[in-house]
Amino acid sequence: MMNGSSIAIRLDGDRRTYEPGETLSGEYSLLGVGRNGVKAAEVSVLWYTEGKGDEDLTVHQFWRFDADEGTADPGRDHRFETTLPASPLSYDGMILKIRWCVRVRVFPTNGKQIVEQKDFRLGNVPPAEDAEL
Amino acid sequence: MARTFRYYEKKRGDRRTGSSKLGSVGEAFLFALFLFFGCVVLAVLLLTLAIPEWRANHQFREHVCVVLDKRLAERHGDDGPLYRPEMQIRYTVDGETYVRWAYDIHNTYSSGREAAQQTLNQFHVDKDNTREYPCWYDPDDPGTVVLVRGFSWWFWLVVIVPVSLIAIGGVGLIYSMRHWGQSAERRAAMAQRPLERELFGTSGDTSSEFPYVPDVAQVTDSPGTRLRYRLPILGSPGWALLGLLLACVFWNGIVSVFVGIAVTGHIGGNPDWFLTLFITPFVAIGLGLAFFFVRQLLVTTGIGPTLVEISDHPLRPGAACQVLVMQSGRLTVNAMTISLVCEEEATYRQGTNTRTETRAVYRDELFRREGFEVHRGMPFEAECDIWVPERAMHSFKADHNEIRWKIVVEGDVAGWPDYQRSFALIVQPGNPGDG
Repeated sequence: MMNGSSIAIRLDGDRRTYEPGETLSGEYSLLGVGRNGVKAAEVSVLWYTEGKGDEDLTVHQFWRFDADEGTADPGRDHRFETTLPASPLSYDGMILKIRWCVRVRVFPTNGKQIVEQKDFRLGNVPPAEDAEL
Repeated sequence: MARTFRYYEKKRGDRRTGSSKLGSVGEAFLFALFLFFGCVVLAVLLLTLAIPEWRANHQFREHVCVVLDKRLAERHGDDGPLYRPEMQIRYTVDGETYVRWAYDIHNTYSSGREAAQQTLNQFHVDKDNTREYPCWYDPDDPGTVVLVRGFSWWFWLVVIVPVSLIAIGGVGLIYSMRHWGQSAERRAAMAQRPLERELFGTSGDTSSEFPYVPDVAQVTDSPGTRLRYRLPILGSPGWALLGLLLACVFWNGIVSVFVGIAVTGHIGGNPDWFLTLFITPFVAIGLGLAFFFVRQLLVTTGIGPTLVEISDHPLRPGAACQVLVMQSGRLTVNAMTISLVCEEEATYRQGTNTRTETRAVYRDELFRREGFEVHRGMPFEAECDIWVPERAMHSFKADHNEIRWKIVVEGDVAGWPDYQRSFALIVQPGNPGDG
């Protein structure tokens, strides 16, 4: 049963801000999931847009772990690591926001997908201000 | 209690995104519908047109008959009467005599009365002096007979419709099935680098040093005469003018037909006041389009070209460089400003429309001058320094969202409409740790 199950994502050093070219690393674990309760798990380091426009989404790094291959063992912590790109930087604009995150998606043997994401900032661009006022 | 099937998922920005599951089901259903209708229509076309025609041409046996009577068959279609030539013929197969009304295999009617009549005239009915004509009968059913054979060229035009439906539906259904149940991240990863990502989970680095920052070459491919690069103008005025002209001609062309009808009624003493009132707002829009077109034409042709050159490119946050603006023409300028602007642009679909919204998030007036003359052959020149703020956001371009830096030249010219011309700049991310 997947009731009460969840995903915990931890970034090493509990960091929330990274510079381009830095290494982002961390681990995720599945809580409340039985040994055979997971069909597959996906880990993505990605950016997406929010705001007025339709969503743009690009995956910087993607891993998929399948139970068939024995790589989606819910009983242990799974580490991930990637070198972050030079762009796009995180951005808080007026009608456009660019968000970076680590997203973990688990496909249980029974029941609905579980998705959890940990947001982080790439770069240090301050929030934009309306120049039309 | 959580619903097992949600119509809407979480709110993104200013709008809700639809359920991805519902979207996938709808997409697959639509493609399946296309495929189904394509197959049904193609089957009907093959069974009623292609196969009977092919059999008449290849399997029917040649024979002879006599024409006993003829008639112009008529029936009412949606657009008026339809006609078909028919001959009553007599022929004998294996000792059995058949009398049938016949012509072609399709029994189709057409609107051409004269053509049908001409066909009838080719056959002579004379009971005292009977003449034999060739005919072809179906060996499996000798009662089925035709007087003409051949292939219908229009069948191949008609068949394009179901074949297109099958192609769109089939390819779409395969696509939907392949991506069924896949996460948005997996689809995005597969789209970016299909094999490597699937098999090895390799990095998403693109070949570009700065992913999703526009290519610098689009700005640096034109050298300047005084400074290093000449910046390209954003939005070619020629194409914008052409588009405006086409819209103006199209709109006013349609409206003029109704204006003509209304004016004729008024001149003839039989005014149609409902039509007159109804078309008034459409005439007003048409006049507005014409006015806007003329205004843009004047701005484009009357005010000479604006050239902008820059000493360095691409720019980085915290970096400064020189800009030279040259304005040609013969103008009395009330005011001219040169600004460095950063704006966000968001494109989104609303129903069947695609809309674009822009918002300026940085504006720095670099130069302003009031009350001066520009003489023909002596362009006005203004030099200024530009500086991109520390920790400023870099240029960014994705499918639906963009952050654009530009130099904007705005002019208030005596006797001419105000004008604004923009020139593209690329700002790349700064070095890590700079900010």
